[in-house]
Amino acid sequence: MKKVIIKPLREFWVPVEAERISPDIFAPLSIEEIRRLEVWEGNRKVTLSDLFMISGDDEPAPPGDNEIVLSGDFSRVKRIGEKMTSGTIVIKGDVGMHAGNGMSGGEILIDGNAGDWLGREMQGGKITVSGDAGEYVGAGYRGESCGMRGGEILVEGSAGDYLGEHLCGGTITVGGDAGDFPGIGNRGGAIVIGGNAHLPGAEMASGTITVRGRARVLPSFQRLETVEIDGIRFDKFLGDLVDDGKGELFAASVEDGGR
Amino acid sequence: MIIEGGIVYDPINGVLGEEMDVSIEDGRVVEESRDGEKIDARGMLVLPGGVDAHAHIAGAKVNTGRIMRPEDGRRGTEARTKLLRPSTGYTVPNCYAIGYRYARLGYTCAFEAATPILEARHTHEELEEIPIVDKGALTLFGNNWEVLECVRDGDLEKLAAFVAWGLRASRGYGVKVVNPGGGEAWGFGGNVKGIDDPVPNFGVTAREIIRYLMRANEALRLPHSVHLHTNNLGKPGNYETTLATLRAVEDIASSRDRQVLHVTHMQFSAYGGTGWRDFESKAPEISDYFNKHDQFTMDMGQLIFGSATTMTADAPLEYGNARLLKAKWSNHDIELEESSGVVPLVYGRKNPINAIQWAIGLELALLTEDPWQMIMTTDHPNGGPFVNYPEVVALLMSRSKREKELATLHDLASKRSSLPSIEREMDWNEVAIVTRAGPARILGLAEKGHLGVGADGDVSIYDVNPEKVDPSKEHEEVKAALAGAKYTIKGGEVVVRDGEVVAVPQGRTYWVDASVPEDAEARVKADLVEKFAKYYSIQMSNYMVQDAYVTRPRVIRAGVI
Ligand SMILES: [Zn+2]
Repeated sequence: MKKVIIKPLREFWVPVEAERISPDIFAPLSIEEIRRLEVWEGNRKVTLSDLFMISGDDEPAPPGDNEIVLSGDFSRVKRIGEKMTSGTIVIKGDVGMHAGNGMSGGEILIDGNAGDWLGREMQGGKITVSGDAGEYVGAGYRGESCGMRGGEILVEGSAGDYLGEHLCGGTITVGGDAGDFPGIGNRGGAIVIGGNAHLPGAEMASGTITVRGRARVLPSFQRLETVEIDGIRFDKFLGDLVDDGKGELFAASVEDGGR
Repeated sequence: MIIEGGIVYDPINGVLGEEMDVSIEDGRVVEESRDGEKIDARGMLVLPGGVDAHAHIAGAKVNTGRIMRPEDGRRGTEARTKLLRPSTGYTVPNCYAIGYRYARLGYTCAFEAATPILEARHTHEELEEIPIVDKGALTLFGNNWEVLECVRDGDLEKLAAFVAWGLRASRGYGVKVVNPGGGEAWGFGGNVKGIDDPVPNFGVTAREIIRYLMRANEALRLPHSVHLHTNNLGKPGNYETTLATLRAVEDIASSRDRQVLHVTHMQFSAYGGTGWRDFESKAPEISDYFNKHDQFTMDMGQLIFGSATTMTADAPLEYGNARLLKAKWSNHDIELEESSGVVPLVYGRKNPINAIQWAIGLELALLTEDPWQMIMTTDHPNGGPFVNYPEVVALLMSRSKREKELATLHDLASKRSSLPSIEREMDWNEVAIVTRAGPARILGLAEKGHLGVGADGDVSIYDVNPEKVDPSKEHEEVKAALAGAKYTIKGGEVVVRDGEVVAVPQGRTYWVDASVPEDAEARVKADLVEKFAKYYSIQMSNYMVQDAYVTRPRVIRAGVI
């Protein structure tokens, strides 16, 4: 196992575009070569060693045998683990936007909070967040017709708005609440929300959304029946009928207003 | 500046491949220049700067295309340099990329083809950000309530006054008409089926709308004619609508030395068949008609295989596209004026419809005998992005290239079109007409499209020797030379050298200020006050494009007094 440890040298005031922090890119490189990788800090091109203290194993290893440990405040560092295919990234602290963009394998473990667009358009692998996540978890970028297509995202805390927007596959589980419009435009996949959710599944075509807490349900969803899952009774809905959708929405409790 | 020893094609001035010098001073072509700057163009092709008379490059629907297509934005990224701002996009480039890419192709002027008055401020905000090229915008009138009411009431004088006002309000250059009546009907989920189908609530027909707007256009003696996107565009069998439209306006005379009607992106309006199964080309019928009626002009709307973003004020068409292709779709209601839509799509070589469409564009250009009646366009980005113009020119110049391409397409392209039998190969003079001289004349831009004394000092120089290179056989060489100009000179300044942008001046924006009798203008104003009070979502004072939006105007005067 090749292990590389990265710590910020200072606080960042403008975002750092760090898509090069990925097991696939680190795998064949020595520590010195990793230090020389170029990243953008705002509109300036810098090397990783300008921003971070980097230590660890020099020997090349296949991507799957790589572990990158990020320790400190990475909340303004974006695109960590973008397009990674295997290996592990452990973040001890908060992480910035677009972590795990388009990843297709491997694992990202965030012991802290995640920014917006976590796991955007991811295709496989797993992301775990011990704290909260921002808006657009597992979503597609604005205008993209598919968000996450596969893999797994687990957020132990709460998630922001547009959770799993245009989800096409994979699973997102949120322990706490979700914001507005979770699962908007979904075409597949599964979302489980432990707490409450506001207007889930708008314009969804297919897929499943389960709200274990209370949900405000759009009037364009049709209530079908009551079902019991793991000892909890859920109202089951079909929708979104404005889009002739065949999505399934389960809500343990339905908020008054509208229906 | 003296451009020395190039082989010059300047069709407007009758220069057909002569080795000669071109002198520019203070931004204009002169007899003799004394400033001493010299450009060695020996053995190279020298043409007036390219003019694009129809492209969708600025405004609300272009921006909607960008928003809808993050994947397109990522396709064309180029980082900023000391001189250049960053570029993004392929079918929907950002503003900077539009200017840089036109300049690299040797184009120095480009017109946005469709702006609703209500959204003209946005159009001009983007035009202001497009570097290098001169530009202008055509204003949409074909579904405007004031127009429909003037037509219903038979009030030509008021209609002309409204057109003049609308051009001023939008800082627009000419009268664009898109699916007349259909856009209004779309507000109720409908469309018009042909030129004699009445528009709901107004009772007027497309025939009447087109005729009245053409008559108003000519009464105002506008530099450009009415610029028409036909009814039923994009539908099998629509060539009959197209021919019926032209026959319906044969009696109208032009008030200036130009066409009386320009029919745009004809490729989309030259279809036979009763449906998609028996879809076929009717380009020969259309071109045959044009060959007998020299008062009309058209542009190709050539299809380019690969990614495109369709965007048009023809909203019902886009609804059909989105349903047919299960594609992303944006639909937009523009209050009392128009509707519009945007749908991204991919044209495939093995798709029989797309393959036939590709053939139709080329057939139209090659079967229409007089190149002055034809402009080379791709209806950017509807048929494909304008960066593919060199590909289209190479196709027009080389039958062997066309045969090579046809061999890679669905075989219906050969069976349902006449393209395989067409021998014609355009020469450099004809290419100069369909890419510069023609569009400049059709738009009515007196100082563009030629290199006579007094013309704008816009010149493109390509590293291809017309005396040595045979475009018929060496089409790859031609295409490569056209894709990156050796020099592009804009207003006497070198803006591109060896295919790279080396200077970024700001171009001018053309618009037309047409005068009308005061009483007619007063009658229009009275109508508008009522419409803004009753229907518009904004105040009239927030509607007009103010001078601050057009910082380098080139105002063309027209009108009846
Ligand atoms: Zn167009």
